[in-house]
Amino acid sequence: MPDFSLILPHVVFHTFALLITIVSICVVAARHPVKSAVFLVVDLFLLAGLYASLDSHFVAAIQILVYAGAIVVLFLFVIMLLNLQQEQLKGIKFTVVEAGALLITLIGFLVVIFNALAGKPTGLGDGSLDVAAIEGAGGNTQVVAMKLLTDFIWPFELASMLILMAIVAAIVIAKKDKKELPAA
Amino acid sequence: MNPYIPVLIVLIFGLTLGAILSGLSTFLGPRNPSPEKSDPYECGVPKVTNANEKMSVKFYLTAILFILFDIETIFLYLWAKAFPNLGWFGVAEIMVFMVILVAGYIYVVKRGALEWD
Amino acid sequence: MGLTENEFTVQFIATLIKFAIMAGILLQLPPVMVWAERRIPGMMQRRKGPNRVGIFKFRLYGIVQPLADTIKLIMKEEVVPEGAQKAFYHLAPIFSVFPAFLIAMAIPYGPDIKAFGFTVPLSVIRVDVGFLFIFAVSSLAVYGVTIAGWASNNKYALLGSLRASAQMISYEIPLGMSLIPIVLIYGTLDLNKIVEAQNHVWLWGVFLSPISFVLFLISMFAETNRSPFDLAEAEGELVAGFHTEYTSAKFAAFFLGEYVSMFVLSCLASTVFFGGWQVPFIDILKIDDAVGFTGVAALIGFLSLLLKAGFFMWVYVWVRWTVPRFRYDQLMKLGWHYMIPLGLINVVLTAVILAAVRF
Repeated sequence: MPDFSLILPHVVFHTFALLITIVSICVVAARHPVKSAVFLVVDLFLLAGLYASLDSHFVAAIQILVYAGAIVVLFLFVIMLLNLQQEQLKGIKFTVVEAGALLITLIGFLVVIFNALAGKPTGLGDGSLDVAAIEGAGGNTQVVAMKLLTDFIWPFELASMLILMAIVAAIVIAKKDKKELPAA
Repeated sequence: MNPYIPVLIVLIFGLTLGAILSGLSTFLGPRNPSPEKSDPYECGVPKVTNANEKMSVKFYLTAILFILFDIETIFLYLWAKAFPNLGWFGVAEIMVFMVILVAGYIYVVKRGALEWD
Repeated sequence: MGLTENEFTVQFIATLIKFAIMAGILLQLPPVMVWAERRIPGMMQRRKGPNRVGIFKFRLYGIVQPLADTIKLIMKEEVVPEGAQKAFYHLAPIFSVFPAFLIAMAIPYGPDIKAFGFTVPLSVIRVDVGFLFIFAVSSLAVYGVTIAGWASNNKYALLGSLRASAQMISYEIPLGMSLIPIVLIYGTLDLNKIVEAQNHVWLWGVFLSPISFVLFLISMFAETNRSPFDLAEAEGELVAGFHTEYTSAKFAAFFLGEYVSMFVLSCLASTVFFGGWQVPFIDILKIDDAVGFTGVAALIGFLSLLLKAGFFMWVYVWVRWTVPRFRYDQLMKLGWHYMIPLGLINVVLTAVILAAVRF
């Protein structure tokens, strides 16, 4: 019997990859915006599974917590806010922007495929962060936390500025001043 | 054993269980539909319009502020996990982080963005 | 993975057994809780509550009543409203049941069982991120409510689901913030390690971080849409909220989801603030050696946790019949204007005190 603990991770990875591709196509192809949003939740959940299968436990949890649990809720609210209905069937007509986006996506896809075939490392790991070393340092979450709060301290503090800007922007867009409102 | 194998087991069995439970009455219950029965419930009167009302912009604002504070909470979790190794340096770090965000929070409250009147 | 095939098989079978036991317990929750929710207010209001239904002459305070209710619900006709989004209408109950199920499996129900050279942890799921996993999955519970309301093509359902989802996401932040001091104090995200650290009554989370407990308790009620925060199904205004158009077994499925998530949050509260499977004044890890039989400690720990969680379930019912319902603006004001600042102050205070004590 082959050592299936070595084969299993590959099987899991490729199963997830296949499922993600199928669900992503459903996201784009669905005619009703709410359906697209629900497919997107499933898609993001599966992506978290992919991260988990690559031993990135923290990223997997955050993927579900922030993307699937928060951002798509916002999407759903916006869809309901704008009262979007079933999309009308249009003939496929490419604008210049859409064609450009498609071209860039294709080039990026080809670069990834080429790199994978050429055996080039696509990640930035220097070997100090392999699975065993991470387990020794107190687990994935601990390592991420220490990295973020020592080596990447400036991005961490800047993130709070970014959130502040987002808060202000959201309120400026969505909230009118009381005096601007017509008298009820 | 990989810690996610139980997650997969629970996911598969949980979804199956949920599907069986909520599908039980489809097979066991009677079925004699009538137009009155399948009319959406509006306290006894026939329905006037479909339920696709536009909703208040406040829900949208709540959702976007939720995302931002959710991200802040996650950063706080990471910091809490690393806190024993950071000491007073960690306290200083999070103070800077908090002061910036509390400024944003005060702006939210002052503008009355979360008042549901 | 470095594991022998033998151990893999043992752990796999152990996982299946643990899942079966837990699923069995979770499925018993709605009948027991429906009975409790009718008997306890009966006691409080000096009336009898259901006491008629019984098997032959044995009535036993009407404990068989929920069984009759369940059979009735399953045998009822399923009415799908006209104009509903069929697929989503049928999927919504599943969406609301399975996150609660997934979280329930991540709570440690007892100390590890060590037998025949294997160590079997007494929680089905144990991952590196600890209770971030619980938050992540519980944030998915919003979709069951939102989709149910949207797919029903009913105005009451839509309004109820919008209210419920805005309320759930609003109170997720205080819920998350209330547990950060716990991570600071015990220095870990692993629920089992948190329980192990609470091996003395005065080390329980409720004594080390009382503000956290208050925040958690309030958010607990809001997250499960229970009274006094049951705005989503305010009977006087919204008929039954997001599940207005649901009948028969699908209606029961929403109840299952609600009771399971109540139970999960009760377990989490007992685990984090009341020592989980620890028994006060007894070192539970020494019981196995004292008795000379493996598994006794696990059983006692399990019963201890169930007792504590049962207490919180009782609090849920107690509060429901004691406190009147909030208004929606009051609910949002409480969440955003009072609980979030309190949570932030709590975090900073705990950090400063801990740093002063430790460093």
